Amino acid sequence: MTATVTPEPTRAEVRRHRRALMALSRRRRNTELTLVVMAVVITGAAYTIASLGTNAEIPPGIIVFVGILLGLLVCAHVVVRLVARGADATLLPLAALLHGIGFVMITRLDDRLAGLQATWSMLAIVVFVATLVVIQRPTDLARYQWTFFAIGAILLVLPLVPGLGSQINGARIWVSLGPINFQPGEFAKIALAIFFAAYLGERRELIAASTWRIGPMRLPEPRFILPVVVAWGFAVVVMVGERDLGSSLLFFTLFVVMMWVATEKVSYLLIGVVLFAGAAFFSWSQFSHVRTRVDIWIDPWSRSLDRGYQLVQSLFGLADGGITGTGLGRGTPNQVPLASSDFIFASIGEEMGLIGASAILISYLLIVGAGLRTAIRTERPFEKLLAVGLTTIIGVQAFIIVGGVIKVVPLTGITLPFVSYGGSSLLANYVLLALLLRVSDSAARRLGELPDEPTTAERWAAWRLRSKADRGKADPIDIDVDAVS
Amino acid sequence: MNRQIRQLALGLMSLYVLLFGALNFWQVGQEEELNGNIENTRAIRREFNKPRGPIVTTDGVVVARSVPNPDPTSDLKQLREYPTGELFAHLTGYVTLAFGSTQVERTSGDVLTGSTTEQQIRSLGDLLDNEVDNSGSVQLTVRHDLQTVARDLLAGRKGSVAVVEIATGAVRAMYSNPSFDPGTFVNAPFEEAQETIIELQEADDDPLLSGAYQQRFMPGSTFKVITTGIGLETGAIDLTSEFAREREWVPPQTNDPIQNYRGSQCGGDLAEVFRRSCNIPFAQTAVAIGPDAMVAGTEAWGIGDPVPIDLPRPAASTFGDTTDLDQRLPLLAIRGFGQNEDQMVPLHMALVAAAVANGGEMMEPHVVEATFDHDGRELDRTRPEPWLRPISAPTAATLTELMTGVTEGDRGTARSVDLNGGVRFAAKTGTAELGLVENPDLVHAWMIAFAPLEQPRYAVAVVLNDLESTEADAATGGREAGPIVKGVLDFLLTGAGSDR
Repeated sequence: MTATVTPEPTRAEVRRHRRALMALSRRRRNTELTLVVMAVVITGAAYTIASLGTNAEIPPGIIVFVGILLGLLVCAHVVVRLVARGADATLLPLAALLHGIGFVMITRLDDRLAGLQATWSMLAIVVFVATLVVIQRPTDLARYQWTFFAIGAILLVLPLVPGLGSQINGARIWVSLGPINFQPGEFAKIALAIFFAAYLGERRELIAASTWRIGPMRLPEPRFILPVVVAWGFAVVVMVGERDLGSSLLFFTLFVVMMWVATEKVSYLLIGVVLFAGAAFFSWSQFSHVRTRVDIWIDPWSRSLDRGYQLVQSLFGLADGGITGTGLGRGTPNQVPLASSDFIFASIGEEMGLIGASAILISYLLIVGAGLRTAIRTERPFEKLLAVGLTTIIGVQAFIIVGGVIKVVPLTGITLPFVSYGGSSLLANYVLLALLLRVSDSAARRLGELPDEPTTAERWAAWRLRSKADRGKADPIDIDVDAVS
Repeated sequence: MNRQIRQLALGLMSLYVLLFGALNFWQVGQEEELNGNIENTRAIRREFNKPRGPIVTTDGVVVARSVPNPDPTSDLKQLREYPTGELFAHLTGYVTLAFGSTQVERTSGDVLTGSTTEQQIRSLGDLLDNEVDNSGSVQLTVRHDLQTVARDLLAGRKGSVAVVEIATGAVRAMYSNPSFDPGTFVNAPFEEAQETIIELQEADDDPLLSGAYQQRFMPGSTFKVITTGIGLETGAIDLTSEFAREREWVPPQTNDPIQNYRGSQCGGDLAEVFRRSCNIPFAQTAVAIGPDAMVAGTEAWGIGDPVPIDLPRPAASTFGDTTDLDQRLPLLAIRGFGQNEDQMVPLHMALVAAAVANGGEMMEPHVVEATFDHDGRELDRTRPEPWLRPISAPTAATLTELMTGVTEGDRGTARSVDLNGGVRFAAKTGTAELGLVENPDLVHAWMIAFAPLEQPRYAVAVVLNDLESTEADAATGGREAGPIVKGVLDFLLTGAGSDR
């Protein structure tokens, strides 16, 4: 038997391998850039068509509009290229497309909101970039799980603080700071998703072991499960207290899904369904506003002039749109109250038809697909669970509001991610998007698709040490090798 | 965990499939039903925002037009303007989003918005472009100059003027006071418009209703043209008929005598009693004709039918309740000279005069002369259509002779009215005593006429509704309505409005 000695890879081979890896990430980023440009083209075209439809003129600022839009998105893309080269190529373009279509609809529905939404859009890109730059290792998030727990809890109760919170359109989910109204709940859900992912990721085996016996039932040790149950129960109760039914439903689903995926036990899904049925029945029997919503859902037609008006008008709008829609700027979507926020999907269905509305649905489905693919690709439980949680938030939130608008589920006021008017929602969703990209990039590096690279902070530390060493003030041996690997 | 994630993906996907299914249900399956829902105002709104063409008088004055809404944020893309204010309101009507449309705006609405099949086919080349302005225009038969003359002659008094072209039935002027200005509410916000419209609807003198064709009034002696026509047709009277000179006459079935106007003594041959407008002879004529023939005769004149004008909701003249009229001969007698329950639409009275002038043939009145598509090509032109033939040509000739006596004969009630340039005309006056308890002096002063006598072209009906006639100051048809008839006919035949 002759022993074959694997030869050490030559420098050239290493370089070729590295180049191949770099080529993969470059291809991914080029794809992203192409898709982003396509999203900008679609948005610009829609903007022009909407203006032609409403005023019969090419919008005077179309060049500036497309320029700024392209600039913002290319900026976001460049940052992804710099600090998350391996991330999924479709997430940013899909968000850009939804955001763009949403912006066009909002501008077309209410000129006065356009400026505000444009400001929020720019801020959202800034927040997106900041999130990507600040959080360069997903594990950093896991380390601060209790901080996120606290942040989530504080954000949740903020609207209930007297003098700070305010009630708009029946829901007390707003915080007013001077002229700015903010929905902290939008960020609370991300903070709690991070907490759930980190906590469950660390203790999933312990929880899944279910060593606590009560009669025939086997439940997880109370001390392991308690923080999760507390966080979840707290969130749902607070949301119900704030009359934010949509968000409480979202939190509930988020928790159940994450428990189920973490423990791999289908019993959590069943428990979730039973609990949901119980909670739903309880709130239906106890709260008149819940009962009203259900009644409207079952039969909006008999109340079509008062409480059912919004839903009935929404359905009229959808029918008016038909398959191809009335054309942007050519319908009367403003007949539906709250057309630019909760009911923006009805406006899209009316003016862009079944085709346009389906495109929106498909975009969400693609985001869900990309998010869950990321979850499957990554090996680390925290990252898996985080990707699952964030994806569930987007997917379920869009389902709840779209379903409400088209009478599939009872209507609960909640924004359509990336599309609806609203600053908090937009910022929170871009943070969420950045985190998904971060996890996706991390997964790619774990899979060896591209080499691990030092974070910006690590490069900075290394540069400082090196310059110190150059000046002879420190021994190069002291440099923490791990940190610059 | 990957298994669960795949199942989650499947689960979320099925939720979206559910949404897609529901979307198809509403946008494809239920589309027709929802679009047809009575509470769905989207189609109306869209129709309302279509470009809408103008309404123009026959002498080229724009009386209704649409202009772009200067407020771009408004749901309404255009505003409707009525440059002549109240002058043509009863003809154009108005068009609003919330309160519908009336008159020509209503009857010709599809032409104005370009929605007729013909207009659609003509613009087939622009089929792909929904935005194309396809709006048509409507030309009225009514003359703006004549309409203005009529308004000025009424001088703010409550009343109506209707001028009809005898040969065609084309309405050349039709103005009634009070009127309204549609501009005050058509473009106003919903609540404001609603308030204005309700105010107009509840006003005592019904400004929203045209006095000329949507209301009817007691005709007084002008009705004697009809009674005489029926009498001549049935043979109950002829030119040789003689009527006793008396102050009062007791009809059958009563002890209550009928008197002539202000109790005067009146009689003679048919020509004399007609031109002097005695009451008793025509009461006797009506009784002589008999209830059945009288009712049939009035029906032959179109009484009981809505005036067939090309405008919505015209009123119908009436001979009153005709059940058991043979048991109520005194009423028949009184109705014979245009009192009691007789009520005539002023436009109908103009048609009565026109029928006499037209050899007995009454034309359908119309106000829309022609419609045009967006490029000015004619879509439709109203052709003159006969409505009724209540009397034969000889009867018409006899009635013309009798009506000429009114303007030219001794003690004719319109003797004092002379047209400029010696133009001869025929007429009948009427002073309907309403006999109201609260205002016993209230009369309607009427005059119907046609001219020129030799070749009649125009028939006119004038009624003044709110006149008080006292012993000292007798308001009669000849005195009050006569000058208006004279003004209109002079303008048309020898004045600024004549086609010299």
